[in-house]
Amino acid sequence: MTQARFSVTRPTAGHPAVVAVSGDIDLANVDEFKDAMAKACNGSAALTVDLTGVSYCDSAAVRALFALAATTELSMIVRPSGHITTLLAISGLDRVADVVRTE
Amino acid sequence: MPAPLFRPRQNDAHGELFNRILERVHQDLPEAVALAVSVHTKHDGMTVLATRGIGSGYLDAQAGGLGGPLAVAVDHQVPVVSLDLWSDDRWPDLTLEAVQSRLAVHEDLAAVEGAMAVPGVWRADETVVLSCLLSVPANATTVTTLIGYEQLITAALVTSAAEGDTGIADMLAVLQSRGAIEQAKGAIMGCLGCDAESAWSTLRRASHESNVKLRVLAVALVEHIGGAPAEQPGSSAPIQPDERAQKAARLLWAVLTHAPRPATTAQPATAEH
Repeated sequence: MTQARFSVTRPTAGHPAVVAVSGDIDLANVDEFKDAMAKACNGSAALTVDLTGVSYCDSAAVRALFALAATTELSMIVRPSGHITTLLAISGLDRVADVVRTE
Repeated sequence: MPAPLFRPRQNDAHGELFNRILERVHQDLPEAVALAVSVHTKHDGMTVLATRGIGSGYLDAQAGGLGGPLAVAVDHQVPVVSLDLWSDDRWPDLTLEAVQSRLAVHEDLAAVEGAMAVPGVWRADETVVLSCLLSVPANATTVTTLIGYEQLITAALVTSAAEGDTGIADMLAVLQSRGAIEQAKGAIMGCLGCDAESAWSTLRRASHESNVKLRVLAVALVEHIGGAPAEQPGSSAPIQPDERAQKAARLLWAVLTHAPRPATTAQPATAEH
């Protein structure tokens, strides 16, 4: 029942690919999330993941993001505050990857 | 119906199993100066199952009120990474001096820089945490390495706690229902606008009041909301909630969706951090 949508913007000169995620990410659909990021990243050196449309995510998503940060230069876009923003801060994901808060 | 208390037996074959796993983790993380497996429950606090490297006093200090990656991992159920353990603003009370002043036995903590803690819920109300201290700053690669061992630790716990066939079936059911429990928590959070902790309390309380096992209630709730069988990945014998569980799930959902906030029979919603 967990639903998420992924929209990918292809990389352009000087800008990495962007995956915009909306909906919920948990154990039930984290594999889809990983697939979408892996495809968008496609071995390139950098990837941006826009999480501003994510309403809920749990440990499964945080683990996937840590794994991604280990293999590529990861930037995440989040809302200024809220569940996801808090999760990235308390886990320390914001210390091993870039986190950009929207205004 | 509270789950029977699991008291891990130390210094036996199972303790040896955890030690061997930590030995393997250490091979993958040669900069680790301390590795530990601990189990945490709300009411009984922490039980340390195995350690490698310096002792476990730094874990006691964290669980005893100073905070730190271990405490955050238990409270929020996410992996936690710190580049510099002693000067991390998430746990200002956890300083080298504060920890050392609490140690009964000397531990060589001065060389510690990075720290990590990876939690896994291995049964309804217990969290197992794999903790690690590094002599270098932690990074995404080191935490991903540690995360990779969580399933092995959880599987080892299953083996270690299972006594007889019932025990094994019970533990496997917990592992199978993890997805459903997370989903049920998510649904309650969305409904009450509360955090994971409150959602968890709500689910536990409903389980207690209806005398339906938490994991069965979680599956029933997910099925009730979704109108379809819950996803139970990797499950050869999926949980099939009976009539009583379904009724409890319907009631819980009705209370959650109709009660004014904060719900009177549910844990009050708490503010976002």
